[in-house]
Amino acid sequence: MCNLPIKVVCRANAEYMSPSGKVPFIHVGNQVVSELGPIVQFVKAKGHSLSDGLDEVQKAEMKAYMELVNNMLLTAELYLQWCDEATVGEITHARYGSPYPWPLNHILAYQKQWEVRRKMKAIGWGKKTLDQVLEDVDQCCQALSQRLGTQPYFFNKQPTELDALVFGHLYTILTTQLTSDELSEKVKNYSNLLAFCRRIEQHYFEDRGKGSSSIRLS
Amino acid sequence: MAAPLELSCWGGGWGLPSVHSESLVVMAYAKFSGAPLKVNVIDNTWRGSRGDVPILTTEDNIVSQPAKILNFLRKQKYNADYELSARQGADTLAYIALLEEKLLPAVLHTFWVENDNYFTVTKPWFASRIPFPLSLILPGRMSKGALNRILLTRGEPPLYHLQEVEAQIYRDAKECLNLLSHRLGTSQFFFGDMPSTLDAYVFGFLAPLYKVRFPKVQLQEHLKQLSNLCRFCDDILNSYFRHSLGGISPAGQETVDANLQKLTQLVNKESNLIEKMDDNLRQSPQLPPRKLPTLKLTPAEEESNSLQRLSP
Repeated sequence: MCNLPIKVVCRANAEYMSPSGKVPFIHVGNQVVSELGPIVQFVKAKGHSLSDGLDEVQKAEMKAYMELVNNMLLTAELYLQWCDEATVGEITHARYGSPYPWPLNHILAYQKQWEVRRKMKAIGWGKKTLDQVLEDVDQCCQALSQRLGTQPYFFNKQPTELDALVFGHLYTILTTQLTSDELSEKVKNYSNLLAFCRRIEQHYFEDRGKGSSSIRLS
Repeated sequence: MAAPLELSCWGGGWGLPSVHSESLVVMAYAKFSGAPLKVNVIDNTWRGSRGDVPILTTEDNIVSQPAKILNFLRKQKYNADYELSARQGADTLAYIALLEEKLLPAVLHTFWVENDNYFTVTKPWFASRIPFPLSLILPGRMSKGALNRILLTRGEPPLYHLQEVEAQIYRDAKECLNLLSHRLGTSQFFFGDMPSTLDAYVFGFLAPLYKVRFPKVQLQEHLKQLSNLCRFCDDILNSYFRHSLGGISPAGQETVDANLQKLTQLVNKESNLIEKMDDNLRQSPQLPPRKLPTLKLTPAEEESNSLQRLSP
C-alpha cells in the first residue's frame, strides 16, 4: 500500500532469525525490524506513512481497532491452530514440522503447542470451547463490518495500517484449508468484509502480476 | 425481575467501592443500567485465586467474568447501551480490546509485580481480607499469575525476561491513556451524556490506578496529568457511588467505620487523659476538695482516698 518494493522469502528458521522471535520481519540494508508495529514505525521514519491524514481521535480509533483484531482474531487463529485437537493432529503439526527431519519436527511442534497453550491459559482462553471462540470471532467481524459500513476502506478513501492488518487476517482465514469451514463461514457472513478483501487483493496484488497469491477468494 | 442479584467481589478502600478492576467494572455497569445488585464482599478465596471474582449469583445461575456478567444483565433488560448506534457498539468492543492489551499489563505490573508496591500495599491489603492460612498463599499466587500473564503476552520466547518488557508496557500504557484522553475530549462520558459499557470498563481500569496510594507511581503521575480522565473518574464516583459509600454498600461502610473507629479511639484516649488531669488538679491541695456523694469520711481521708484511686 505504500508502494515500497519488497521481496518475500520463506525460511524455515524465520522465527529464530527475528530479533523478537516473531514473524514477519524485514531486512533492510543492515537493519532487521520485526512485527507490524515496529515495521510501521520504521517505514514512517523513512518517510512513508499511511495514517498522516488522520486526526487524533481517528488515530485513537485506528489503534483501538487494531488491538481488537489482535486480541480477537489473532488469538482465535492461534486457538484454532494449536488448541483444537482435530486441526492440530491433521494439519498444524504436519505443516509446522515439515521443514525439519524426524524427530525434530515432532519436538518443535509439541514445544510450540505447549507454548501457545500456556499463553491461552494465562489470558483466560484456556477454558473456552470452540463454539465460544467462534462466537467471539463473529462478534469481532460484526464490529469490523459495522465500522466499515459501505466505505471502500476503514477511514474512507485512503487505506491505512488497519486495512492492511484486517486484510492480512481475513485473507488468511478465508483461504486456509482447515478441517472444518466454520471459521471462514463466519467471515463470509459479512459481505462487505468479503468485498473489502477482494478489492484489496485485486488492487494491490493482482496488478503486479505476482503468481504467489495463486489461491483466489471463492 | 424480582430475583435478587448478588454480586460477590473484593472489597473497597481509598474511597473506591472495590479495589479490584473487574469487580468495579461490573458495579459501575450495574449502577449505569439501574440493575439492583446486592454487593457481597467476599473472603471466599479459592474462587478469587482462580480469577473467578467477580461472581454474580441469582436464583438459578452463577455467572463469572465481567463480559459474561454484563451479557447476562443485558439479557435481563438492564442495558446501558440502549441508545448507542451499531457503530458505537463496534467502537466499544475496539476500545475495550485496547484497554485489555495496552493498559492492563501495566496496571497488573503496578499492583502485583512492582516489588515496592506489592509488598507495601497490595499484599497487606489482600492478606488482611483473606482468612489465615490462605493469606500466606493466595496473594503470592495472584502475583505470579499477573507476572505470567504479562510475560506470556508481551515477552519473547523462549526466555522471558521482565526487564525487557517493563519499559515497553509502561510506554504502551501511557500511549493508551493519551488515546483515551483524546477520545474523551471534553464530553462527560465517552458516548454523549449517558454512561455505557465502555465508561464502565474505563472507570474500572482507571479508578484503582487513580486512587490507590502507591510508593512507585509513574503511571499514576501520568494519569493525573490527564485532567479529563481524572474528572471522569471523580464524576462517576460522586454521582453513582457517593450515597452507597455512606449507606448501603458494606465495602464502603467498612472503610468509613474503620476510620471512625480509629478516630473515636483517639478521641476517647484524649478525653480519658483530660479527665485524669482534671481530676488530679481538682484533688490537689490548692483547690477545695470536690464534694463526693454518699460519703461518711472526713475531708482529709476523702482526699487521700481519691488520690490513691487516681494513681496509675
